[in-house]
Amino acid sequence: MSVRNTVLARLRETLRQPHLPFPPAQSEPLTHAERMTVTHAPGDIWAQAQRFALELHAVKGSCELLETVTEARLSVVSRLQLWLEEEQAARKTVDAERPEDWEVLCWPLDQLQIEGLPLILKEVGFKLIEPTDLHDPQQRDHIRNVRAGITTVEAAFASTGSFVVGGRGANARAASLTPFRHLVVIPFSRLFATGEDWLAEMRHAGKLDAYVRDSRNLSIITGPSKSADLEGNLTMGVHGPKVVHAILFDDLQH
Amino acid sequence: MQVDIHAPYKDRVQQALGDPNLRVAVSKATDRMSNARRASMDAIEGQQLRSQVRKMKEHVLSNWPDYLEQLESNLTRNGCTVHWAEGVEDAQAIVKDVALQNSANLVVKSKSMATEEIHLNHALEEAGLRVVETDLGEYIIQLADEPPSHIVAPVIHKRLEEIAEVFQDKLDMPPTREPTKMTSLARAKLRQEFFAAGMGVSGCNFAIAETGTICIVTNEGNGRMVSSMPRVYVVVMGIEKLVPTVEDAYLQLQALCRSATGQQLTVYCSMTSGPRQEGDVDGPEQVHVVLLDNGRSRMLARGYGEALLCIRCGACLNACPVYQEIGGHAYGGTYNGPIGAVTSPALAPEIAQFKELPHATSLCGACREACPVKIDLPRLLLDLRSDLVQQGASPKPEAWGIKSYASLMSSRRMYENLGKMASIGSNLYAGMSGGNIKLLPPPLNGWTAYRDFAPFAPKSFRDWWRDRKKLRRQA
Amino acid sequence: MHKATFEQRPKRVALFVTCMVDMLYPGVGIAACELLEKNDIEVIFPEEQTCCGQPAFNAGYRDEARKLARRFLSIFGPLVESGEVDAIVSPSGSCVTMTSHFFEAIFEESQETELSHQAERLASVTFELTEFLVDVLGLVSTGAQLQGKATYHPCCHLYRELGVDEQPRKLLDGVEGLEVVDLPHGDDCCGFGGLFAIKNSGISAAMGRAKARYAEQSGADAIALCDVSCMTHINGILSREGVSCRAHHIAEILNNHLGSTLRPPSQPAPAQADHPRRWGE
Ligand code: SF4
Repeated sequence: MSVRNTVLARLRETLRQPHLPFPPAQSEPLTHAERMTVTHAPGDIWAQAQRFALELHAVKGSCELLETVTEARLSVVSRLQLWLEEEQAARKTVDAERPEDWEVLCWPLDQLQIEGLPLILKEVGFKLIEPTDLHDPQQRDHIRNVRAGITTVEAAFASTGSFVVGGRGANARAASLTPFRHLVVIPFSRLFATGEDWLAEMRHAGKLDAYVRDSRNLSIITGPSKSADLEGNLTMGVHGPKVVHAILFDDLQH
Repeated sequence: MQVDIHAPYKDRVQQALGDPNLRVAVSKATDRMSNARRASMDAIEGQQLRSQVRKMKEHVLSNWPDYLEQLESNLTRNGCTVHWAEGVEDAQAIVKDVALQNSANLVVKSKSMATEEIHLNHALEEAGLRVVETDLGEYIIQLADEPPSHIVAPVIHKRLEEIAEVFQDKLDMPPTREPTKMTSLARAKLRQEFFAAGMGVSGCNFAIAETGTICIVTNEGNGRMVSSMPRVYVVVMGIEKLVPTVEDAYLQLQALCRSATGQQLTVYCSMTSGPRQEGDVDGPEQVHVVLLDNGRSRMLARGYGEALLCIRCGACLNACPVYQEIGGHAYGGTYNGPIGAVTSPALAPEIAQFKELPHATSLCGACREACPVKIDLPRLLLDLRSDLVQQGASPKPEAWGIKSYASLMSSRRMYENLGKMASIGSNLYAGMSGGNIKLLPPPLNGWTAYRDFAPFAPKSFRDWWRDRKKLRRQA
Repeated sequence: MHKATFEQRPKRVALFVTCMVDMLYPGVGIAACELLEKNDIEVIFPEEQTCCGQPAFNAGYRDEARKLARRFLSIFGPLVESGEVDAIVSPSGSCVTMTSHFFEAIFEESQETELSHQAERLASVTFELTEFLVDVLGLVSTGAQLQGKATYHPCCHLYRELGVDEQPRKLLDGVEGLEVVDLPHGDDCCGFGGLFAIKNSGISAAMGRAKARYAEQSGADAIALCDVSCMTHINGILSREGVSCRAHHIAEILNNHLGSTLRPPSQPAPAQADHPRRWGE
């Protein structure tokens, strides 16, 4: 008999024993109705956005809340410029224009939900990198030194300051993982009070199962990478981004 | 002094107790984590969360084979390859074969207790592969050639200066004790490994049966790296790490994070449902899932199934006053602290292989109070003690002693005589040493090595009671 | 565990004094007895009682534990079932845990259903002393007086198995003149643990020393607690370590056994506190 069948048969037989101290013979699954929502974020969308900002700050991320897509567009550009200056200042030696300084790892632009962003970024001089195959050695090598990444999100949760990035199709997982700084664009339409709310909506629409499978990889991200392994000293940016900045904007007005 | 994990139990404990750095490092960290856990559980309906996660996990174990089959079929449907392993050898062989077939010379690993259980690093290295641990704490102890000493914080036993020494020694780090500098160095080194590795290996915090999804949680991002960057991704998971639905996963995730570190959520929860497909930019081309029994089904049959509810949060270690004194290595197994004292013997082919561990506890119950799934660890430890006695694995003099005690106590006459004799003897003896007894013969010298003992009372309570009765009658 | 509620105030109780109190600390038993009597409870002391069997159970010897458990039930069972007493009261959280939690379990294990049911019935009328005084008799103070500073150590069985914590603290607060201070890391185990103190004496003592350090930090002259086993351990450590504060069973404080003022122990600390002598070494 295969290991699989042996193990399964053994478990079945054990579970049939009458005096087994554990588990209880009768046990019900947790139903959707009884399952608790662990954290809560009451209020309207703006209250939720503020809560998101608060929670993200608490885990050492940063955030700005904007009223229009136009502001968001400008904000993305100025944030990238600010980061560029910081990087250059930190490097001390002012070597002339390093091209990789201007490169930004990115999801496909039609995903970013901000019209006209590529154009304006190009104008300012940023080059957006949209890899197509990161197992290709050349492309892989190329993204190695890219210092910033931009993505949007599948969903964001106000009560914990978390957001979800998906890894299917042209959405590179690397964009939210390998760069030192991650700029995340969150339209209000993707903001939910809690993770449970988002799951309930997906479940209700009958989409959850297929969505999780088709995503191949989903990551729930709550703040920048960190560790306390060095005798409890908190250090940031161990493997993932050291800086996570979220730009939330109201896309619900019309 | 370092704890030699291969030394006998008594020596390990002595070594641990003799290491002042260990106690400082461990108790500082466990206090911090315990306080964070308490605060974060108090901030929500913590009791309800614990009851619900327990209920959900109980249901899984009651229907264990069915959920395993469901998980298997969904993983397969998603394009993952599922392997089943009975124990250490076949699990090692499966992973080794996958690596060799894909000519992966370099393997990057994310912290995983299941792979510690099967000594995977050792096996892969013997096959000529290079294995790199990528969790910062695991990386440090791999450099120092030690096993992890805590489920969640593997290098909890080391102080900063000790870690700095390891980095200076093994990575040629210039002398510094700056945590940020040490982290940057590790980031740079490990970044090269992530990009070069042919295979990534991780454990699994929980797998979702309904969707065939493997979830791993990390704060550093190494879990995402090993499951995204290499072409081949291998998951080694204990067969009990199942949840039925996505919502159950999210519930357990929150219980895990709050109990482990007091976070609402860890920085990353990475959920992999299958390999990369046509048009995907990145992600592994192959995903292999090894379902590992390694004693788990035996544990259920032996009556220790409750310990299979464990979600490996480490809260019981942080709460345990014994763990605070001796750290993890003294336990001598893969798992340590209260849950290790149950799991190591209960998983082992013979319980008696770890016969000291069920006694390495004062049964204070702090672990049960901390546990997010309310495992009655003290009860399980008492049951293990009883099993050891039944198997004749307890010391003969102890068995004789307990039997004589039980028969003495079964007779009022003998009990009263014993009391009188002990009273006379101990008072004489205490009188000679100035009021308190400071030295007793074996096996009671274990007491007086560290503590004094007050003599028996000259007159017992029952003497008083009888005298009073007599007086009252006379009056 | 289900606890009985009394329609009428109980009149008579059986005192389960425990073997350690009987032989080593009769003063605790006397205090318990007098505290009950002062509150118009008639106390019966069944003289057949010896030990509840906890040491055997704790060490894993279930047959021996059952032997003593049967004996206990045969002594206390008829008293309760005949209505001769309304409750069983004991000055030990640990021994109450044994009789009211573990008896039931060990007879379930041996499938002696009758006995496990009897144990369960008895458990519902078995009380730790302070639990009885506060929950059943409704006391807030025993009228005791004591000058000094004391702290409280919650013994593990009492605190975590029986869930009794507020009751003793309340009674301690009610002692006139006594300043009750906080014990840092108070709910950490003192390290006693029965056989553990002998089998793993090094670890046990290290835990005890941690307790001693915190006791010293608290600035208290006395540690009140509800179990003489933990008291023996803590005092053994305090004495060996040369710390002047001492642990006292709460019954003795509540019944004015310690005089009018808390004093450090008369016995001076040994000179070489950190060089414990060992047998044959
Ligand atoms: S036994 Fe409970 S507290 Fe300990 S690691 Fe497992 S889940 Fe956490």
